[in-house]
Amino acid sequence: MQSIHRLGRISLIIMLLLVISAPLAISIYFDIFPPLTPFLNGLFQAVMIYLPISVAEFFTFVPILGPGGSYLAFVTGNLTNLKIPAAVVTMDQAGVKSGTEEGEVIAQIAVAVSSLVTISVVFLGLLLVLPLKPVLTAPSLQPAFDNILPALFGALAAHFFTKTPKLAVVPLLASIVLAAIVIYGLKLNFSSIQGVLIPILGGLSVWSALIFYKRGWITKSDLGESS
Amino acid sequence: MDYMTVANSPFIYIVSGLIVAYVVLLCVIYLRNGLKRARALGIGSDTLRRTIRTAATFSVAPSLPIVVALIAMMGIMGLPYPWMRLSIIGSFQYELTTAKIGASAMGVEQLSTASSPQVFANSIWIMSLGIIWGMLMSVLFMKKFSHGLDQAKKKDQTKLQLIITALYFGMLSVFVGPPIVQGGIGLLTLLVSAGLFFLLTKLLQHRPRSVWTDFIFTFSMVGGMIFAVAYQWLF
Repeated sequence: MQSIHRLGRISLIIMLLLVISAPLAISIYFDIFPPLTPFLNGLFQAVMIYLPISVAEFFTFVPILGPGGSYLAFVTGNLTNLKIPAAVVTMDQAGVKSGTEEGEVIAQIAVAVSSLVTISVVFLGLLLVLPLKPVLTAPSLQPAFDNILPALFGALAAHFFTKTPKLAVVPLLASIVLAAIVIYGLKLNFSSIQGVLIPILGGLSVWSALIFYKRGWITKSDLGESS
Repeated sequence: MDYMTVANSPFIYIVSGLIVAYVVLLCVIYLRNGLKRARALGIGSDTLRRTIRTAATFSVAPSLPIVVALIAMMGIMGLPYPWMRLSIIGSFQYELTTAKIGASAMGVEQLSTASSPQVFANSIWIMSLGIIWGMLMSVLFMKKFSHGLDQAKKKDQTKLQLIITALYFGMLSVFVGPPIVQGGIGLLTLLVSAGLFFLLTKLLQHRPRSVWTDFIFTFSMVGGMIFAVAYQWLF
């Protein structure tokens, strides 16, 4: 376990340096440094939006993935639509659980494989961008990409919600109510605030689950553990 | 030098390529480390093979919209930098939002080929620095937080298991509620995908060791996407 934190820290410190070096190298090479005030203004705006989301994501996703998978997932991104589903589905298939050493290891493998696949697909996209452009942007194919989240989460919810239905009731009802308020009341684009809602619904879901547990409405056997 | 000449220059391809190469190397190191630890824990080769196969096939379809995002961004940010950004940390929405924040902070409302190279520079700086927090928090707090989770597990394993499942259910709900409320093609796609999942599970229930069981989620998801195209085409 110690070694995964060592690997995680070293690999992420190098990654952080690389992430900062990229714009630095480009600015030096082309001599195009942005003026300080617009840079700080823009950075402040971006930080105000993404720092709170990142903090909430950290505390939501690390318990699910475990440290090994999390270190890599925070480098490779796309957590909600790729890394978390891939990790949870493979853990379920292997018969191991989040929060156990076996679960953490399977999640780490799943995140690594999923990241390699995404990087390969995007690389192929880069190489074949001209022939692919008319295909992937064809209006007839757009519904497939516009509805990828319902297609992905329909199957995931079908499996996991029916496995532990008692835990699904509160977050699902809350999500429906919130979605109705956001879409019809506030008239906002729901996808623009999804990042904020993940920790809110996660918190609500945990709170209700703990009450159910305390009152004995949920037991070990509901979670698939032997009592 | 104009904006797009800079944005598509070989130098940016080299810089971006080096970073993507480093991330590929990291994935290979984490994969090998995971496999080694799994074997030490006594997890069998068959389980590991199935894990790799499922994670790989499952990840292809959700990666395609990232290529669509790359195509959408190439007109305003060139190809190499968005390629690197979308291959690693960020999502399309994040990258596009921060690229626009960078441009508007420079007084440019619409990123375009007419923008100056300084606007491009401001955008790439903000894209790069705006979302380092997940990595930074991992470096600073992951060990402590994992240790805390281990302690909680020792105290009450069921309670920790419950919290983790509830967190995951909260995340799932965020994506299930909106199509239910909005109805239409989104809700139908959700239902088709869920229905396919139940159908495939039923068909394969007597063959739990069949290789096809590894593809149930992938087939359900791709089936939902195909349905969305067919629905639009028919109605």
